[in-house]
Amino acid sequence: MAASKCTRLTGVLSRQLLDSVDSVLFDCDGVIWRGDQAIPGAPEVINSLKKNGKRVFFVTNNSTKTRQMYADKLGKLGFDASADEVFGTAYCSAVYLKNVCKLDGKVYLIGSNAMRQELEGVGIRPVGVGPDPVSGVQKDWANVPLDNEVRAVLVGFDEHFSYMKLNRALQYLCNPDCQFVGTNTDTRLPLEGGKAVPGTGCLLRAVETAAQRKAQVVGKPNIFMFECVASQFGLDPERCLMVGDRLDTDIMLGSNCGLKTLLTLTGVSTVAEAEANQKCECPQRQKMVPDYYIESIADILPALQA
Amino acid sequence: MAGAAVGGRGCVTLRGAQIRDLLDAKHDVLFDCDGVIWNGETAVTGAPEVVSLLKQRGKRVFFVTNNCTRPRENYVQKFSRLGFTDVAEEEIFSSAYCSAAYLRDVARLQGKVYVIGCGGVMKELRDAGVPVAEEEDAEPGASIYTCPLDPDVKAVLVGYDENFTFMKLAKACCYLRSSECLFLATDPDPWHPLRGGRVTPGSGSLTAALETASSRKATVIGKPSRFMFDCISSQFGLDPARSLMIGDRLETDVLFGSNCGLATVLTLTGVSTLQEALAFRDSQEPQQKHCAPDYVMESVADILQALEE
Repeated sequence: MAASKCTRLTGVLSRQLLDSVDSVLFDCDGVIWRGDQAIPGAPEVINSLKKNGKRVFFVTNNSTKTRQMYADKLGKLGFDASADEVFGTAYCSAVYLKNVCKLDGKVYLIGSNAMRQELEGVGIRPVGVGPDPVSGVQKDWANVPLDNEVRAVLVGFDEHFSYMKLNRALQYLCNPDCQFVGTNTDTRLPLEGGKAVPGTGCLLRAVETAAQRKAQVVGKPNIFMFECVASQFGLDPERCLMVGDRLDTDIMLGSNCGLKTLLTLTGVSTVAEAEANQKCECPQRQKMVPDYYIESIADILPALQA
Repeated sequence: MAGAAVGGRGCVTLRGAQIRDLLDAKHDVLFDCDGVIWNGETAVTGAPEVVSLLKQRGKRVFFVTNNCTRPRENYVQKFSRLGFTDVAEEEIFSSAYCSAAYLRDVARLQGKVYVIGCGGVMKELRDAGVPVAEEEDAEPGASIYTCPLDPDVKAVLVGYDENFTFMKLAKACCYLRSSECLFLATDPDPWHPLRGGRVTPGSGSLTAALETASSRKATVIGKPSRFMFDCISSQFGLDPARSLMIGDRLETDVLFGSNCGLATVLTLTGVSTLQEALAFRDSQEPQQKHCAPDYVMESVADILQALEE
């Protein structure tokens, strides 16, 4: 595809692009919603795609909600969607631990209740969720009681992140046989109301630094997120479109998996950044050039309704 | 000085007369603490005597530690407790003390510093007269979206903090959004050794979280950065050519010595091993070669034997 890349998606091209795909994968934050507000026109686009016979999926690095919680949010904002169309990292990390890591035992979890629920949903028992303030003195911390059934450490977004959690994770990771997985490396977590706070990437860097080990990262741009969807729904990459707002996660994922890619400008990345990547010789940066870009996904609506 | 081994980051093991010759050429000896002169609450055998003997022979002795958990007066007490006589507060340079000195003398901070750190750092800042932003007690409804920011904060200092929380990370990140806000870290150590071969997360891991959140790099005060040497030198006038650095951690102590133009000795009573030292020596990368010590000793007690012969 795309000998020419980074092309503005206009009406005619929109029609051609949509005809060339059967499935559309959407990132969420900055693409279909911002915080708790739908991007104007986004629900109509998704619903229209489905009426046009396209399959629609939601692929997000945000680990704070279960698939059902996402389905509830989508419903509330006017999107016609079901839980099994949603692939967040809480769910995908659980699947990854089960199927790729072949985890047999418990996981020490730095993460949310949503992650706990998704893990329990695939039959993995997490330990460690919730507040964990420090107690005792320094010499006690190396001797925190460790659960000897723990075979992996999983790090996701955790508002209760603390020195003690970092310490416990480190103690488990001193065992080289203990697996080390992170949900994603995004440095900021978008919040309701349009604000943002430090993201999972920061917590993961803290644990990686203390343990002097690198985590296996589940989220975009790792191809696992796409493989998770594809294996459940039998997708053909060449007939898939990835729509996202971040060049380094969404578009990179699309490039890695051989999908068509569309950058929307309602989120993080800009056309200038995409064009700068395009001019660069570096293969890694070339993967962060979308086939097309569009101001907002709402701009596809005319092509769908034609 | 035929007996003196040639430096050049060759990891040369020193014994007896070679140690004497090396010391004859040096006026000032800088010791790391953890893993060199003590391990936890136990002095390395012979270390107290070595320090005394060096001073008797007219050397100046300084202690340069990345450990930011205690104020200097606590260190004085620890020295005394472990059998080191006559170690004065002025001889002790911790990353906490030096961070405060940096803010006061180099940055000349006009405003407050927001601190992620423990009691040791707070005390040193207060002693240096550097205003610290008060940490309000978390109100019941306080959340990461509504925590108040102090408009007088002009610097963020991050170091070892057993009370580190997500809220502190978020607040520090907010302060660092202003490019005028300084970003300092006490030290880069990713982990610290505890008794029995166990480890605990270090300042470096907390700094990594904040650097990632803010997309900024911290100015690091502690070893291997030069600043602690400059701090000692500004007070005592050190000549690098006549100074010796003795430490146990290749990536901090030895690299520090290297960065400051000091001769370096690795002792094997702490973190790094001879094997690791040789690997750095034989590396092709220049940065890695700087982590290779000039000399190696089993323990600082070897100095005792050399001086007593």
